[in-house]
Amino acid sequence: MAARGRSRRTLSFSVDSVGINRGESLPPTLQQPTPVFPVMEQKPLPLTGGEEAEYLLALKQDFRGAMRSLPCFIQPAAALRDVERYSDKYHSSEHTDGLMDWTPDWQRFPRELRIHVKKPARDGVSVTRSDAQLAQKKKKKKVREKEEVLLKLETLQKKEEQQSEEDDDNAEQKKKQEDDDADGEEEYDEEEFEEVILYVTCDGSNQSMWTGSGLTKGSVLQETDYIMSYFDNGEDFGGDSDDNMDEAIY
Amino acid sequence: MTAQEVRLCGLLLREHFGEVVEKVGTQLLRSGAQNLRTIIHETGLSVDLVKKSLMVLVQHGACLFSSGRKGPGSPTEYRSGCDRILRILRYPRYIYTAKTLYGDTGELIIEELLQRGHMTMSGTVKTVADRLTQNMEEGRSMDYSEVSSAFSKLVETHFLQRCPPLAGAGTADSTNPAPGATPATPSTPSAPPTPESFPDCYKVPHMTLVGRGKRQLTAEDGEDQRNAKRQKMDPEAHGDEGIYWQVNFERFHLHFRDQAIISAVANKLDQTSSEIVRTMLRMSEVTTSPAATCTKPLSANEIFRSLPASYNIPRPILDQYLTLLVDDPMEFVGKAGESGGGMYVVNLHRALANLARATLESVVQERFGSRSARIFRLLLRKRHLEQKQVEDFAMIPAKEAKDMLYTLLSQNLVQLQEIPKTPDYAPSRTFYLYTVNQLPTARMLLQNCYKTVANLIERRLFESKESKRLLEKSQRIEAILASLQASGAEPEQLTEVEEMITAPEKQQLDGLRLHINKLDSAENQVDETIFLLESYVNSTATSTS
Repeated sequence: MAARGRSRRTLSFSVDSVGINRGESLPPTLQQPTPVFPVMEQKPLPLTGGEEAEYLLALKQDFRGAMRSLPCFIQPAAALRDVERYSDKYHSSEHTDGLMDWTPDWQRFPRELRIHVKKPARDGVSVTRSDAQLAQKKKKKKVREKEEVLLKLETLQKKEEQQSEEDDDNAEQKKKQEDDDADGEEEYDEEEFEEVILYVTCDGSNQSMWTGSGLTKGSVLQETDYIMSYFDNGEDFGGDSDDNMDEAIY
Repeated sequence: MTAQEVRLCGLLLREHFGEVVEKVGTQLLRSGAQNLRTIIHETGLSVDLVKKSLMVLVQHGACLFSSGRKGPGSPTEYRSGCDRILRILRYPRYIYTAKTLYGDTGELIIEELLQRGHMTMSGTVKTVADRLTQNMEEGRSMDYSEVSSAFSKLVETHFLQRCPPLAGAGTADSTNPAPGATPATPSTPSAPPTPESFPDCYKVPHMTLVGRGKRQLTAEDGEDQRNAKRQKMDPEAHGDEGIYWQVNFERFHLHFRDQAIISAVANKLDQTSSEIVRTMLRMSEVTTSPAATCTKPLSANEIFRSLPASYNIPRPILDQYLTLLVDDPMEFVGKAGESGGGMYVVNLHRALANLARATLESVVQERFGSRSARIFRLLLRKRHLEQKQVEDFAMIPAKEAKDMLYTLLSQNLVQLQEIPKTPDYAPSRTFYLYTVNQLPTARMLLQNCYKTVANLIERRLFESKESKRLLEKSQRIEAILASLQASGAEPEQLTEVEEMITAPEKQQLDGLRLHINKLDSAENQVDETIFLLESYVNSTATSTS
């Protein structure tokens, strides 16, 4: 009701052209936002069924499922809970193994996206994956301390070998870098690690492969002698619903 | 990059690549071209995760990188576009089309390429052969040459194309390798070259690949498995290193557009007319450029000769059909001359406009009723009408016509145009005309479609999350059942395992499955509308520019 003349009852638009006759009042003003799900006067048409629609549906769901198991489906490691636990050391690296499955052609990517070395979390301190050059610098600093360092480097190198499955092409490069810094000699049987490597690269789904091959679940990767279920803290116990369970839980 | 598009792209990325890639992707979509540091800072993720996500996005063509704006020395910039990510909605349709055209082999080739983004020919052939061998009976396997020939056929018909090569790796990437450009010119932030600007785009490389598909042995056979995997690990050079292939979405879109036109003709006229139009389109496949307004003129003699053998209609009848098609108000076919018995063209852009118009009309009809649809169609034909004229032409009583017009106006499907008689726009001395603008309305409906699909996906995720526990339990039981059956168990054991799910839980599961299937196929259906509206909007963009 802008442009209200001096106490005159005129409206800003012409009454006849818009079509309001005398005696008809304007519709009531709205005091609140319109409802989120207003009632529909016309019901929508049903979906088109048919063979083609069903096949497309099946294709879509299969595609989604297949994408979840591919290496391009990135899942971050589960967030740490309130208190650090001893088993975190062994559980956290399990999930991130899938990330290294995929061998991209580095020629097609900018150099800054290259990820060379992965260091696993040790002693509860998480070390981010760093560029090869940074790793070199750190190693150079450590070399000064000689003997203990050499031992550490040997175990590090074995771990890197074990987790650098994807870089078959770059394996020589890496070995050159690492051999420059440390006199790593292969004491471990490479065969064993190659098998480990081969398993992980074939499919994205690691878990079934591990159990099927006779290797105990993740113990080799995590470098323990116990199977991974040894490190279950029992916090998952009782979380599932107890429907239809006649026995009580003690 | 509207808000709805970004939201939908985020959901699609989440479903197919995980939440990390979703975060990085939406950051790129919202804020345009950025370098790595900015992305890491804005998303708050760790460096490795961001790097990995960017690699995944580049691999799938969703993200492009180029050297920075300040010259060759500045850090690489990454940019992303909504279009490529929205194609994910249409993947099932691409795979199904490949299946109808090239059989199971073609279907699997396209599926592999869509899952992996870019792949070499040898890699694709091997993986597809293995997958086909899996599904064959014992003792039979798929030969690589069959798969290679299917691949070559796909390339010949342009459904697959090579990925554009990068001129040198590293941060000094120049994505402007036009043959005439001098290296001294700084790389301007121009659009990256299309894959078709390279002459070798559709050339199949000479590949030495002999063998048959390998059947993947069961998991119990650890020994053989190890050997088989060891073979796979040996790098074999097949002569096509560095040549990567991707799916050519534009070609699929042309195919869908042709199909839409043919089925529209079949619905409006009859089967024979649609066959004639199909013949005309088939003949013009190679001679028509993707952005052409209409196909090259074809003479009636040529059409007569190229009709499929099963349709032996005499020549005069063909002429009558063509005349009917030309006279039809839909204007799918036009006459371009009299030589050769009459030169005919298919009006592609006009056909798309008409299909879009039919979509708009049907939307109004389904939402507001047939009388509102009548008013809408009237306004589309007559362009500008006053309120009184609307009531008269639509033959609807004044009060109801007024109501319907206002409803349409409030939904922004109809606009008011003011025509003043006096320069002060006084309301009593101004004409108010109702009008419908097809292109802006189509754009608005397209955004509505994006919002619809995003809502459907969110609802589906919500439903699955609610019943997550139940779904996991049923999956575990299915896995147990499958393994028991594979190892040959007795029926009692199977029934025992099946009974672990109670009847109400089964009911709940069935209901959940039904809902999820409904939501999924609704997404597919909305995508068909999206395709039509997008093609129309893009066709107007190219013809006006």
